[in-house]
Amino acid sequence: MAISKTDTIGMRSLAFGDPRHQAAFQFLVDESYLLDAQLYDEWIETLTNDISYNVPVRVTTARSAGFDTSPGMAHFDDDKYSLSLRVARFATEHAWTEDPPSRLRHFVTNVRTFATENEDELFVQSAVLLFRSRGDNREPNLVSALREDLLRYEGDSLKLARRLVILDESVIRMQNMAIFL
Amino acid sequence: MEELSQILADVRRGMIPANVYNDADIFQLEKEHIFERSWIFLAHESEIPEPGDYVVRRILEDSFIVVRDESGEVRVLFNMCLHRGMQICRAEMGNASHFRCSYHGWSYRNDGKLVGLPFHAEAYGGEDGFSKSGQTLLPAPSVDTYNGLIFANLDPNAQPLRTFIGEFAYYLDFYTKQSDDGMEVRGPQRWRVKSNWKIGAENAAGDSYHTPQTHRSVVEIGLFREPTGSKRKTGALYWCEKGGGTTYKMPPGSFRERLRYVGYSDPMIDRIETSWTPEQKRLISDDGFMISAATLFPSFSLVHNWPKIDANADDDSVVPFITMRVWQPISPTETEVVSWFMVDKNATEEFKEASYKGYLMCFGSTGMFEQDDVENWVSITTLAGGSMAKRLLLNSRMGLTSADKPLNAPVADFHGPGTAYIGYGEFNQRALLREWADCIERPLEQVEQMAMGKKIFKADARSSEG
Repeated sequence: MAISKTDTIGMRSLAFGDPRHQAAFQFLVDESYLLDAQLYDEWIETLTNDISYNVPVRVTTARSAGFDTSPGMAHFDDDKYSLSLRVARFATEHAWTEDPPSRLRHFVTNVRTFATENEDELFVQSAVLLFRSRGDNREPNLVSALREDLLRYEGDSLKLARRLVILDESVIRMQNMAIFL
Repeated sequence: MEELSQILADVRRGMIPANVYNDADIFQLEKEHIFERSWIFLAHESEIPEPGDYVVRRILEDSFIVVRDESGEVRVLFNMCLHRGMQICRAEMGNASHFRCSYHGWSYRNDGKLVGLPFHAEAYGGEDGFSKSGQTLLPAPSVDTYNGLIFANLDPNAQPLRTFIGEFAYYLDFYTKQSDDGMEVRGPQRWRVKSNWKIGAENAAGDSYHTPQTHRSVVEIGLFREPTGSKRKTGALYWCEKGGGTTYKMPPGSFRERLRYVGYSDPMIDRIETSWTPEQKRLISDDGFMISAATLFPSFSLVHNWPKIDANADDDSVVPFITMRVWQPISPTETEVVSWFMVDKNATEEFKEASYKGYLMCFGSTGMFEQDDVENWVSITTLAGGSMAKRLLLNSRMGLTSADKPLNAPVADFHGPGTAYIGYGEFNQRALLREWADCIERPLEQVEQMAMGKKIFKADARSSEG
């Protein structure tokens, strides 16, 4: 079932050798490093001021239903201010859920880049698998998702302007989402 | 079971054997004695507004289709085919006039009635061999609603929901009846935490003491102005029959001013004023308390908070939100949190969006309050599984003297029903666990066997099966 909210059918992804694809891919890999290392102040700098960061709740529906996300409910439905607050909280000495910090690894693959009508913007699909380990002996958690991003050039650097995260599970199997995808 | 009687006695005096939060035998008792005969919240009517709308929800391992049938009636149907036990509806939500089993094709109308049976004549000789007339998917043994909240109970002889809620309804209305047209919900978010279900239920019932420590970070970042130690200790903790909760003491002002203080607009306050009784309004206007978190036994919790969600707003501008959740037990060490956002149906779209945003920032799977709660609860549950935990009695006696007297007298002239105390105390956690102990101690009654949607024999007369 098509889960993409942006119709890419009939759109050709850019060749892997295309500099625009390479720039987008590098953006995502660099971003993964920041998220793994929890360098969140630096990560916030990679977002445009009008960032829309959305992670809807996924639901199991019949193939004919025509929808597979919860109407109106998300895990994240964030703008720059709310993301900044989340990041500011991690920087306090009292965000217990991440102190001791999780060990995080964002694996990013299946990256497809599409040109858009706007020269300054690229549409990028990627698959992300997040491995999260907390404590010395707890079972680790995995989150798998498709991401659909709009990257925008601001000057010479790409920034994330929109992210839609399509989770591959309905019930999240980790204690909280004190992480970013 | 001598050991159990000791555990229950310890719990009743506020000394909690730590292993009650991670023990397979106790969990089995909880399943049979509590969850198979308590009223469990399943869904809100606004989730299924149109005929055929359904959601699928669980009580323990039992899956139920909560569906509005063609006549508009809400049905709660056991999601198992009468024939071979296949799960009839395998989606979480949708709209259907009929549900058809994917195994042999038996089909049921959305009121549960069996209407289709392939090769009825050839396979059964028609009505003679198998009378399908009058057969329906098993309805949940007891179903009832209050303020649009749909509850079910696996006990067919359960007391009526309204009787069970009792005078706690006084408080439940603050969350679930903000206008005469009712509320609407979004969600739920669902996520699984490696925590015993009781810990969250106790926390929401009365743990104002954890707020200044656990949730210090949200005050530091300016998300919520209230949960400091000095503000929490002036709130009242109330317990009333099967439920209880926490409140914040409001600054001086009228009913309207105090609701404005937590972010309600005048049109919303107008609707609230007509929805609540004079006695309910006095909790805010005369007593000066604003409801915060609460739990209705065993596992239904509610939260009302008023964070600051807008960078551009002035310092005093906040928006209130309401969330309700079920702590759905999966095992002694795992709970599925099922969490809804709730808002006055008549609120403006602008308010609904802001309130929803407040919920996402504070509670739920990503909420900045809730993230830190769960870290604690997982840790407690893990340690509670060891042998030392059986020897450790956790002190849950806050607010009591050694002679079992309350440290401070109950609030005089409190307008709400039940008993209320100001200041820190574990009155509500003890009350919740006393309900727990009473429920576990009450003997089980025999459940009648059901087949093909009809009671055909008593469990004690199985030998007569022909």
